[in-house]
Amino acid sequence: MTDGHLFNNISLGGRGGTNPGQLKIHAGGILWKKLGGGKAVEVDKSDILGVTWMKVPRTNQLGVRIKDGLYYKFTGFRDQDVASLTNFFMNNFGITPEEKQLSVSGHNWGEVDLNGNMLTFVVGSKQAFEVSLADVSQTQLQGKNDVILEFHVDDTTGANEKDSLMEISFHIPNSNTKFVGDENRP
Amino acid sequence: GDNRAAAKASTDLIAYKNVNDLSLPKDLMIQIDQKNEAVLLPIYGSMVPFHVATIRTVSSQQDTNRNCFIRIIFNVPGTPFNPHDANSLKNQGAIYLKEVSFRSKDPRHISEVVQLIKTLRRQVMARESERAERAT
Repeated sequence: MTDGHLFNNISLGGRGGTNPGQLKIHAGGILWKKLGGGKAVEVDKSDILGVTWMKVPRTNQLGVRIKDGLYYKFTGFRDQDVASLTNFFMNNFGITPEEKQLSVSGHNWGEVDLNGNMLTFVVGSKQAFEVSLADVSQTQLQGKNDVILEFHVDDTTGANEKDSLMEISFHIPNSNTKFVGDENRP
Repeated sequence: GDNRAAAKASTDLIAYKNVNDLSLPKDLMIQIDQKNEAVLLPIYGSMVPFHVATIRTVSSQQDTNRNCFIRIIFNVPGTPFNPHDANSLKNQGAIYLKEVSFRSKDPRHISEVVQLIKTLRRQVMARESERAERAT
């Protein structure tokens, strides 16, 4: 194929779990279609702010950050796909993918990074998990040091998720100086 | 006391060394990895591991609509029975994940998860406080 790359088994991850589908990466952008129809994601190459690669258990994850703050995560790439797509992104989109690392240490302390709509919990300079603030229905401050994020109840996705995240809270000790004076968000 | 010693030792524990050490589940649901002493939580389509020693309490409840909820509270510094230890001083400036709540479609699975976490946590804490005592 001269006009890009086609992958038949790529999952889109999100709030409700993951959905399998087909991903086409072509000169004009990225197109993902859910297996069996329904949801589709279409991203024009001019809307792409950046792409990331991350090694996840047994496979690789592609992150695509776009101009409106959204961030798509596609999982299911082999190591050789990473190499060929990295070339493709550089040659066709003029974008050099960044490499991210996944934290699997199991620690519950780290840093919180805010980027676009995404809140990332970073442990030892590796990513432990990410949540989208677009899905947060309410934030609460509890006491002086705790921030609670409540997520929308989402019944619409036919995803493979049995247990759904409802609420998450962070403890920000007084010794943390990064977020002093910001009373809106952690 | 014991709590302090255990908390101090446990914070050095690591669930996995490598990304590929994680087993890949069929379904996205809370899982316990006894061998690696880890609790795996489905967050945004990924299984996120936490060492069982970072967990302080776990509980479940059911509402009138038969929805089942599970709440996991993690150790954070400066709370009763978990005083500032060598580790929290070392991690000055760190932000802690304090609590997560999940809604589940399967009450039986949740009560099993709660039991497994409690048992595993008890075993690991006993082992760690024994180890700390031997070291002193």
